[in-house]
Amino acid sequence: MAIQLAASGVEKAYRKGRNEVPVLHGVDLQVERGEFVAVVGQSGSGKSTLLHLLGLLDTPDTGIVQLEGERIDNLPERRRDNLRNRTFGFIFQFYHLLPELSAVENVMLPHMIRLKAFTYLKQRKAIRARATELLERVGLGHRLTHKPNELSGGEMQRAAIARALAGGPEILLADEPTGNLDSASGQSVLELLRDLNRERSLTMMMVTHDQSIAQQADRIVRLAEGRIEEWATANV
Amino acid sequence: MYKSLLCWRYLRHRYIALASVVSVMLGVATMIVVNSVMAGFADKMRSRLHGVLADVIVESYDLDGFWNHQEVMARINEVAGKDILAMAPTMETFGLAKWTVNGHPFTRQVQIIGIQPAERAKTGDFAEFLYENKEATEREKPVNMPPSFEITQKVKRNRPAGRFLEGEPENSPFEHLVNQQIEQEVSDNGTIIGFAVGHIHFDGKDVPIAPPGTKIGLVFPAAGAKPKPGYDDFTVVGFFKSGMSEYDSSHVYVPLERLQAMRLLGDGQGKGAVNQIQVKAKPGANLDKLAAKLQTALEGLRPMFFKVSTWEQKQGPLLSAVAVEQSILNILLFFIIAVAGFGILAIFSMIVVEKTRDIGVLKALGASSAGIRQIFLGYGLALGIVGSGVGMLGGLLFVWKINAIEGWLSRVTGRKVFDDGIYYFSSIPTLVEPMTVAWIVGGALFIAVVASIWPAHRASKLRPVQALRFE
Repeated sequence: MAIQLAASGVEKAYRKGRNEVPVLHGVDLQVERGEFVAVVGQSGSGKSTLLHLLGLLDTPDTGIVQLEGERIDNLPERRRDNLRNRTFGFIFQFYHLLPELSAVENVMLPHMIRLKAFTYLKQRKAIRARATELLERVGLGHRLTHKPNELSGGEMQRAAIARALAGGPEILLADEPTGNLDSASGQSVLELLRDLNRERSLTMMMVTHDQSIAQQADRIVRLAEGRIEEWATANV
Repeated sequence: MYKSLLCWRYLRHRYIALASVVSVMLGVATMIVVNSVMAGFADKMRSRLHGVLADVIVESYDLDGFWNHQEVMARINEVAGKDILAMAPTMETFGLAKWTVNGHPFTRQVQIIGIQPAERAKTGDFAEFLYENKEATEREKPVNMPPSFEITQKVKRNRPAGRFLEGEPENSPFEHLVNQQIEQEVSDNGTIIGFAVGHIHFDGKDVPIAPPGTKIGLVFPAAGAKPKPGYDDFTVVGFFKSGMSEYDSSHVYVPLERLQAMRLLGDGQGKGAVNQIQVKAKPGANLDKLAAKLQTALEGLRPMFFKVSTWEQKQGPLLSAVAVEQSILNILLFFIIAVAGFGILAIFSMIVVEKTRDIGVLKALGASSAGIRQIFLGYGLALGIVGSGVGMLGGLLFVWKINAIEGWLSRVTGRKVFDDGIYYFSSIPTLVEPMTVAWIVGGALFIAVVASIWPAHRASKLRPVQALRFE
């Protein structure tokens, strides 16, 4: 299969006060289309940072990020915004739903951002119907107009997954999606991701520190001290 | 689209931000109330000033005036007749008033104005300021006296001697005797004196010290190279009350012919000198142009003798003092709104910190920096609209009900908040100028937006990962 997303020689350091804290020391990684990759490592190993760099939430100090063979880390801001809106879908450990918006409005958000006000208003019904459909798909059909603070952790993460899917992305980037959930709802979220990966042939990259969760991916990448330590094919 | 949705949701769910808007609201309301009341006062004062003074006043530099006022008026008519409605010659001089009531002597420094009352009434609101009641305790009563110096029977009866007739039947045998006594006491000439000349304001009430019928002695400079004092007695027939204390406490109106004769400036047969001509212009005439035109024309008649001024020019310092007060007050009050702006700035900076994660999410979902900036600018504008809108409504409501509020405050505090004795207004005058309101509201909106620029810019500069790491 073709390589969809690639990082080569990526380095990144953060400034903390006066000190420069290196996080990634030259990471090379290739992800194929439709692949479900788990990135594991101890906290501080740079796995979240790698995910952010791949998803254009941040820019590498050196090295490049490529999408379909094209370099994307140095694109102008507008195009990067556009890629985040259309090509990538993000899922965070703490769900990060906007507290002022209901579940369905949160799911409609990618389209609200994408479209101009007038176009959006014209297509509102269709967008809402699609958002409702997605929430039903993740099992939240009965929670459409609930605000995030009226949802449980598992429900919020499902809503966040629906939002990540709403923009019709090709690549889903998940940062500890089960990190804040109990094992039962964590497992059901993971199954949902797994199913989505299969039925929509979504490329999926998931950061976790939990070995047992990582086991369910197609491939496990282990990061240690800012370098890729080993590649392993999960025994699915 | 997400921008307006989020602005709207923030507006509805962030009560702390609404608190910051209360200061905008109060600032706007205060400015509207203060401006309306000051404009009301200024407007009322102008109309009163204008009521006392004619549109344009032609006066001579010489107190002794000029004899040829017929000629002067003809000249005025000739150059600007189409703009002129009426003219009245008057004689104005300073002097002293001396009188005794119930054994108490009073002396006042006064402005003595000789007029032909009917003519003078045509050139201004003069007639509307005349009151004949001896105890005009109720203010701004409707006009109840014709512009005339006639000493009526009613006035005569008000003499001390007249009191003997109180309770006596008609055609009492005393009546003839009393009338004789009165005729001896009363001077032939009537006078209308300023309300504050004839009354003392004491303990919230106006106590008359020169009721109608009082004989008043006036001292004034007679004409001549070495002016000697002239003296004559007049009988008070009524009061002049314009509401401008400067006039009400000094003006004393007397018949023009009598004043001319006593100042040795009249021949006693209707010919005499005057030192002013009051000119009333037609509505809509440009008074400044008219005054300038008359000045030029009269220079030709007699150079360096006449001074022509509009009523506004004559009261220039007073009117401009009011204007200066109003603009200084506005500058000071605008600082209130500026303070409110800093409140918005502070609270917005806090909101940006609080919303850091949401900003990160929005950026992760593809929102641009400009979009984030617009959310917060729009939020600032929305807060400004709410603040200044509610402030405007509150201010206008306050202005509308100001007299009811004043009455209520006076009842609650037990003392008069607005003492009508000071200004002679029965109620607080207000005038809402739509342009002023628009400026105030616009200024408040501007400040609200300006105050949100910096926090909005900071929010837009957050990199998504910076915002999301905030955990």
